[in-house]
Amino acid sequence: MKNKIISISFIGILITVFLLNSILPAKAISKSERRKLSQFPELSINTVLNGEFTKKYEKYLLDQVALRDTYRTIKTLSNFYIFHFYDQHGIYLKDNHVFKMEYPYHQLSVEKMADKINYVYEKYFNGMNVYFSLIPDKNYYSKDEKYLFIDYDNIEVILKKKLKNLKYISLFDCLSLDDYYKTDLHWKQENINEVAEKLLSAMNKDFVSIDNEYDKKLYYPYYGSYYGQSALPLNPDTITYLSNNVIDNATVYYYTDYKSSPIKTTIYNQDDLLGVDSYDIFLSGAKPIVEINNNISKYNKELIIFRDSFASSLSPLLLSQYSKITLVDLRYISSDLVGDFINFKDQDILFLYNTLIINNSEMIK
Amino acid sequence: MVFSSMTFLFCFFPIVLILYFLVPYKAKNIVLLISSLIFYFLGEPKFMFTFIFSIILNYIFGLLIDKFNTLFYRKVAIITAIAINLTLIGLLKYSNFIIENINSLFSSEISLFKYALPIGISFYTFQAISYIIDVYRKEVSAQTNFIKLALYISLFPQLIAGPIVRYKTINEELSMRKHSFEDFSYGVKRFIFGLSKKLIIADQLATLWTLSIETNQPSVIYYWLGAIAFSLQIYFDFSAYSDMAIGMGRMFGFHFLENFNHPFCSKSITEFWRRWHISLGSWFRDYLYIPLGGNRTGVLRWGINIFIVWCLTGFWHGADWNFILWGLMFGVVLVLEKIFLLRLLNKIPSLFTHIYTMLIVVFSFVLFNNEIIDAIEFIKSMLFMTDIPFFTVESNYYLGSYLYVLIIAIIFSTEIPKYIFLKLNIKPLWNKIFNFTEPIMLVIILLLSVGYMVDSSFQPFLYFRF
Repeated sequence: MKNKIISISFIGILITVFLLNSILPAKAISKSERRKLSQFPELSINTVLNGEFTKKYEKYLLDQVALRDTYRTIKTLSNFYIFHFYDQHGIYLKDNHVFKMEYPYHQLSVEKMADKINYVYEKYFNGMNVYFSLIPDKNYYSKDEKYLFIDYDNIEVILKKKLKNLKYISLFDCLSLDDYYKTDLHWKQENINEVAEKLLSAMNKDFVSIDNEYDKKLYYPYYGSYYGQSALPLNPDTITYLSNNVIDNATVYYYTDYKSSPIKTTIYNQDDLLGVDSYDIFLSGAKPIVEINNNISKYNKELIIFRDSFASSLSPLLLSQYSKITLVDLRYISSDLVGDFINFKDQDILFLYNTLIINNSEMIK
Repeated sequence: MVFSSMTFLFCFFPIVLILYFLVPYKAKNIVLLISSLIFYFLGEPKFMFTFIFSIILNYIFGLLIDKFNTLFYRKVAIITAIAINLTLIGLLKYSNFIIENINSLFSSEISLFKYALPIGISFYTFQAISYIIDVYRKEVSAQTNFIKLALYISLFPQLIAGPIVRYKTINEELSMRKHSFEDFSYGVKRFIFGLSKKLIIADQLATLWTLSIETNQPSVIYYWLGAIAFSLQIYFDFSAYSDMAIGMGRMFGFHFLENFNHPFCSKSITEFWRRWHISLGSWFRDYLYIPLGGNRTGVLRWGINIFIVWCLTGFWHGADWNFILWGLMFGVVLVLEKIFLLRLLNKIPSLFTHIYTMLIVVFSFVLFNNEIIDAIEFIKSMLFMTDIPFFTVESNYYLGSYLYVLIIAIIFSTEIPKYIFLKLNIKPLWNKIFNFTEPIMLVIILLLSVGYMVDSSFQPFLYFRF
C-alpha cells in the first residue's frame, strides 16, 4: 500500500506540475522580483540545433512555474529555519525590518563616484555653490555586528577628501532605523523633515524653518522591494505622502528623450500606487530629468539635485524654499548631455546619493 | 538537460513515464531508446551523430568479435573497436589539451577546436568499451538486437553522469524485466534523495566554495572552509546523480550497481577508492590494471602499472594537468599504503586514520578544482605558508552562516543517519511511524527540492534596488 501511495504521489505531482505549466498563461512580469519574466522561446530548427531553445525553455519554466513565489518562500523558510543561514540572497530580518546586506565594500567605486562628481563640477559648476550629501542605507542603522557592512566611515573620508570644491552635509545623525520602510530600502517621507531642514539650512544662510504642517495621505498595503526579494510572509508597510498648498499647486515636467516635449504631471500621481512599485507615487519613479515648479513661490532661487530615488520623496519637502527644483538622475542620462536640458547659472547644486549607489557607482553615466 | 532541471523533472520525465507505462511491454525498450536519444539530442544536438555513430560502431564490432572464431581476427576487431572509441574521445575531449601543450612547447600557433566537450562522452565510451571487451572475453554474448544494445549505451538515467553500467549487469533486464510498485517506489525514494542532495546540499556548498575563492579578504579559515565545502559538494553532487540514475533505472525495472558507499567514512585512501565512484574504479581495475599484470608482477612493472592507471584515472576526469597530477597523487599514496602505510594505519586509532584520509581527500580536491599553480597557493594558504590572516570578518560571517549546512552535510556523508534509521526501524513503533510518514516526508522533500531549484533563478532587477 505504501509503495503504491509513494509511486502514485510522485507521478501525480510530476504530471500535475507539467499540466499546470502547460495550461496556465505565461506572466509578463514578476511583481515580487520586479523584473520581466522569460517568455516561451523561439522554436525553430536553428534554435533547437544550437541548443538555445533548451536553455531558454529551462529559464522559461523556472520563471513561469505555477506557485513560483510559494516555492521561493519554502526555500527561504528552509534556509532560515532549518539551515540557519544568516542571510538569503543577502536578505536578512532584524527588528521586524528586512535588510539587504551591502557587501563587499568597493572602494574603487567610491573613488570613481568622486571622480564623476568632480567631472560634472568642472564641466558645469566651476565657482558655483555646490554641496554633496550621503544618505546612509538602512544597514547602517541595523547595528548588528553579526552581518557584513561596507565601510561607511571610509566612504565619508574618501568623498570629503576628493570633493574639495563641494561642501559636505552629513545626514548620518538625522536618521534612524524607524525612518526607513520595514520592507523597502527607502526612507519614509513623513520622517525626513529633519533631513530637509538640515540640507536647507546648510545651503541657505537665511533659512529659518519650513512649515511642517502637511496633509497626510496613506496607502496600505505597500510591499517594498525587499518584501518580494525576501519571499517571506511579512506585514506590509504603509506609504504616507505629504501635501500642502505648495505641493498641491506645483507642476512637474519630465523629459523622456531629446525629440519629445516634456510631459506635464503632478508630484503625486495616485495611479502609480497600483504599479509595480508603489514608491513611484513620488514623482512617478525613476526619470532622467524632472523639473518641479513651485507656482506660488516666494523665492526666485532654484535648486538642482543630482540624485537617486531617495530624492523623489525628499524634494517635495524642499520645494517651499525654491521656485524650481530640477532633479537629474545620472543613471538614466549621461552627464555630458545634461547641459542640453539645463541652463546652469546661479542655482544651488546638491549631489545627494545613497551609499548603495556610491558603492555601485558603475551605473552612473 | 540535467535531472535537477525543470525541463527534465516537469516536462521530459513525466512524458516518458506516461508513455513507458502506457505502451505494451514489447514497445517499452523502443520508448526508452527514443526518449534517451531525445534526451541526448536536447542536451547535445551537435554531437548527436557522433553518439549514434558510437552506438552503431560498437554494435557492429560486438557482433564481429562474437562471430570471429580465430583469435587473430578477434584481436584485430577488438583493437580496432577500442582504437576508434579512444580516437573519438581523444578528438572530442583531449585534442585541445594536446594542441595547447604542443603550442606552448614548440611556440606554434595551431588553432584550437571551437566546441565544448560533448556531454556524457566519458561515460558512454567506457560503457561501450566494457561491452566489447566483455564480448571479447566471452563473458557475455554479443547483443544481436540493435535496439537493446543502443538502449544499453544510451539509457538516459546513466548517460551523462554515470554510473558506468556494465553490460552484464543489465543484459538480462534489457530483454526481460519486472515492473512493480515496490521497485518503482524504491526508485522514487532514491531519485528524491538524489535530487535533494544535489539541490539542497551540493548547490549551497558550491556557493561557499565560490565565495571563498572570489573573496577580497582571504584567510586561512576561509580557504579551509572552501576546500571542505568543495569536497562535500563534489560528493553530494556526484553521488546525487548516481542516486537519481539508480532510482530512475529502478523505476524502469533496471538494477544498477551502487556507485558510492559513504567514501568519507574511509580509514585509508585504499578504502576511499573502494567506496568512491565504484564503477570507474572497478572499470580501470578490470579493463586496464589487471590486463597490465596488476600487482602479480615485479615491483618495477607494478609501479608502472599503478602510474598508468592513475594517470589515466586523472585524465579521464578532465583534460588538464591538474587532473593528471590529481590521479598520480592518489597513485603515489596508494603505493605507499600498499608498501607500509596500511599496516601503520591499522595500528593507530581510527580517529587519526579518518583525519589522515580526509586531509588527503580535501587537499586532492583543491587540486582537482584548480590550476596547479593556484592549487599550490591555495594549499600553502591552508597550511599557514602565506601572508594572510587566520580569519577575517568575512570568513567568520560565512563560517557562522554555513555552519549548519556543513554539519548536516558531514553527518549525511557518513553512515550515521542510515545506522540510526535501521536501528529504530526494527522497533515496531518506529517502524509504524516511518511507514506512515515516509510518503509525506518524500513529498515534502520533493517540494522543498523544487523550491531550491526554482529559487536558483531568483534575479531581482538591480536598478529596482534604488
